[in-house]
Amino acid sequence: MNQMFSNIFNWVNHRLPIVNTFERHLSKHPVPKKVNFWYLFGALASVVLIIQIVSGIWLIMPYENTEEGAFASVEYIMRDVDYGWVIRYMHTTGASLFFAVVYLHMFRGLLYGSYQKPRELVWIFGCTIYLAMMAEGFLGYVLPYGQMSYWGAQVIISLFGAIPYVGESLELWVRGDYYISGITVSRFFALHVVALPLVLIALVFLHLVALHEVGAGNPEGVDIEAHLDDDGIPLDSVPFFPYKVLNALVGIGVFMTVFAIIMFFFPEGGGYFIEMANFEEANPLVTPEHIAPVWYYAPYYTMLRAIPDPLGGLIVMGSAVAIFFVVPWLDRSNVASIRYKGIYSKIALALFAISFITLGYLGTVGVTEVRKTMSLICTILYFAFFLLMPFYTKFETTKIVPDRL
Amino acid sequence: MNTINLLSLNLLKILSLFVLVFFIGSISAAEGGPCKDYGDCDDFNYSLNDTESLQRGAAVFLNYCYGCHSLQYSRWNRVAKDLNIPEELFAENLIFDLSVRPGDLMKGSMEKEASAEWFGVAPPDLTLVTRSKGDDWVYTYLRAYYEDSSKQYGVNNLVYPGTAMPNVLADLQGNQKLVCKNIPIIGKNGGEKRNENGDTVTKEKCGYLKVSDGEGNLSQEEFDGLIYDITNFLVYVGEPAKAERERIGWYVIFFFVIFTTLASLLYREYQKDYH
Amino acid sequence: MQEKDKTRRKVLIGLTSAVGLSGIPFAATPFIAAWNPSAKAKASGASVKVDVSKIRYGQQIQVAWRKQPVFIVRHTEESLIGLAESLPKLADPNSDSIDEPYKNLSPTRSQSNEYSVLTGVCTHLGCSPKYYPEVEPKAWDASWSGGFFCPCHGSMFDLVGRVYKGVPAPTNLIVPPHFFDGDILTIGEDNGVA
Repeated sequence: MNQMFSNIFNWVNHRLPIVNTFERHLSKHPVPKKVNFWYLFGALASVVLIIQIVSGIWLIMPYENTEEGAFASVEYIMRDVDYGWVIRYMHTTGASLFFAVVYLHMFRGLLYGSYQKPRELVWIFGCTIYLAMMAEGFLGYVLPYGQMSYWGAQVIISLFGAIPYVGESLELWVRGDYYISGITVSRFFALHVVALPLVLIALVFLHLVALHEVGAGNPEGVDIEAHLDDDGIPLDSVPFFPYKVLNALVGIGVFMTVFAIIMFFFPEGGGYFIEMANFEEANPLVTPEHIAPVWYYAPYYTMLRAIPDPLGGLIVMGSAVAIFFVVPWLDRSNVASIRYKGIYSKIALALFAISFITLGYLGTVGVTEVRKTMSLICTILYFAFFLLMPFYTKFETTKIVPDRL
Repeated sequence: MNTINLLSLNLLKILSLFVLVFFIGSISAAEGGPCKDYGDCDDFNYSLNDTESLQRGAAVFLNYCYGCHSLQYSRWNRVAKDLNIPEELFAENLIFDLSVRPGDLMKGSMEKEASAEWFGVAPPDLTLVTRSKGDDWVYTYLRAYYEDSSKQYGVNNLVYPGTAMPNVLADLQGNQKLVCKNIPIIGKNGGEKRNENGDTVTKEKCGYLKVSDGEGNLSQEEFDGLIYDITNFLVYVGEPAKAERERIGWYVIFFFVIFTTLASLLYREYQKDYH
Repeated sequence: MQEKDKTRRKVLIGLTSAVGLSGIPFAATPFIAAWNPSAKAKASGASVKVDVSKIRYGQQIQVAWRKQPVFIVRHTEESLIGLAESLPKLADPNSDSIDEPYKNLSPTRSQSNEYSVLTGVCTHLGCSPKYYPEVEPKAWDASWSGGFFCPCHGSMFDLVGRVYKGVPAPTNLIVPPHFFDGDILTIGEDNGVA
């Protein structure tokens, strides 16, 4: 019996490199032997991706992607489908935690210079994933067709209108109708359920292949490839299995605990994960008192509101995301990790983090004169982090990076 | 690190995560303004395990509110089951439309177009009102009516000024009026201002709600209790799975805490290989 | 590595795997349960109540239950006595090969002595047979003693839905769960009285 199984396996393996791929990319893949918790967020992001796909598939089954049926079908899922509420909350919690994890994952990149040579392409694929996620999240939020789904869509689609010359036609073309309607819902449904998930999966694949080609970084910024043993394996590495797997397992355990706390006790996240206005069916005749995006778009929403001109706001908001792509070329430091960079980088990163969080907070509250000024200041600090980087990274005094981990 | 330390460390992590998430979870009420002229909404704490309260709330709702407001996403037999009311008893006492079957949705008693004509705006469906407006809001709204002869039905509401809804529970509450009171002036040091004789100096302030004694079939306490029950019932209707969700949640969290602890021990054990 | 460490590793691996794997059936439960008939399905699949007192003798009415036609026939005394005539033509007069809620309780195959309750779906390929109660020669049977004829492929059933020999349909028309409470017939559940 064993012999037969072995023969079949070898026949397949001869034609499809199962063992080789498994060892190269999973079990024997060398990873730096000492990383910290910041390095777990990539694995957590893939866990959330899987959760979103599985829960998403199950949500499509009872969901009705029509103007008349959408909102009611979500309540149908919450009440009439056995454990439908579990699947719905899994998906909404997953959406928010996806962004939380990805923001922390990106911050790790800024902390330890993960974007530096030879990992620029890994970083670029990552930024593209972030962009795709933002689109995916927006499209998904429209589907329950509550008040915030409708009016949030109204605001974002009208951004297209700010583009000179083509703006209005573009707006009409995206909507497919003269106002947001079932036509918009069903096309957003197709994009959210099929198109963007395929794009995301492809991008994640490319992200990982690019990563494996050059190997993962570490908090010290040491190049572990510089010291190899006789077999060509970095001395400061350990095989992925079991060491990295076990590490990831702990991270997953903690993460799922947080996931469960939110999902079972605070699924609405105090109105930040599922906004209260979205428990009212979309009404084109009544605008909610506060139109606020979900928390993960809030920083960019603040920037948009801080600039009075619509086109200007759109450009600033777009640049704020776009500028991430060029960080590998803005950072002129000869060291990768913040641990060895100079005082300017540390201050700059701290200010960036503070301004990002503040921008996020400001995006969820109403506008006042004081808040307007704060928004502008934080936007300037945000951009300063990037635009001044070529200078402060070049001219600061760095420490010597050790040779080995 | 030994097992006990690790378990307590994990528990501490979970506890702080819980506190953090709880803190985030309770920020929503901070936004000023939902209860408008009333000020801050009164606090409401649901108790979905108090079946009697839910039953009373259901009975009051179906008798006083269901005439105009539908609960269109809720099913009759689900309400009966969750509130521990035998289906026949429920149908006999609380389902007034004989054509209704137990599995039907609670679509309401009025045609939307007709009621829009009569009231100016159709009485909204209330299935999700506690989720879209907040349970605090609902609890305060139902108690904030006052006499206002300038309005269509002779009443206005501090929480929703200009509401098109009449005060349906007026006979229970009595007629509430806006009155002025003489209240003490509080100085900067927090103390009450007094005149030369040591008496408290007062100032007139208006905008208080008051029901004259003896009016209404219920005392203020009883009425507030009634509104509590209705709101509690509406919290249930807003999310029937809420009680079950919170119950299951403890088990899930417990599972993941145990798993994380074990995974932690296993990880540290293998870390010895390269540390 | 020390023996003690090796054992410790084995124990930890075992425990962690056991706990981890034990979570899988719980995690799978919502996804599997979500495929169960929802409250909406149960509501529309719910029992149907019919007042049968107005049905004339010899008449058949049809009601819908779970998107299927259900025939309710009120038999005359003569037609019930006449059932014996068609006996030799039948493939399974006692419904031995199928399950029935009130097997062999009454010639009507139901809980009542007057009414038959039959699923109006031919057991061949699902067409709806037509009711021909008249005892007279028919194109499909020169000695027709009343019953159901399926127009699609010519299957024949007697007045209480029992299938003829030599026709495409293999079994008698199905009797759905039902019970009588005075004049009210409930289709969709039986009250346990066999």
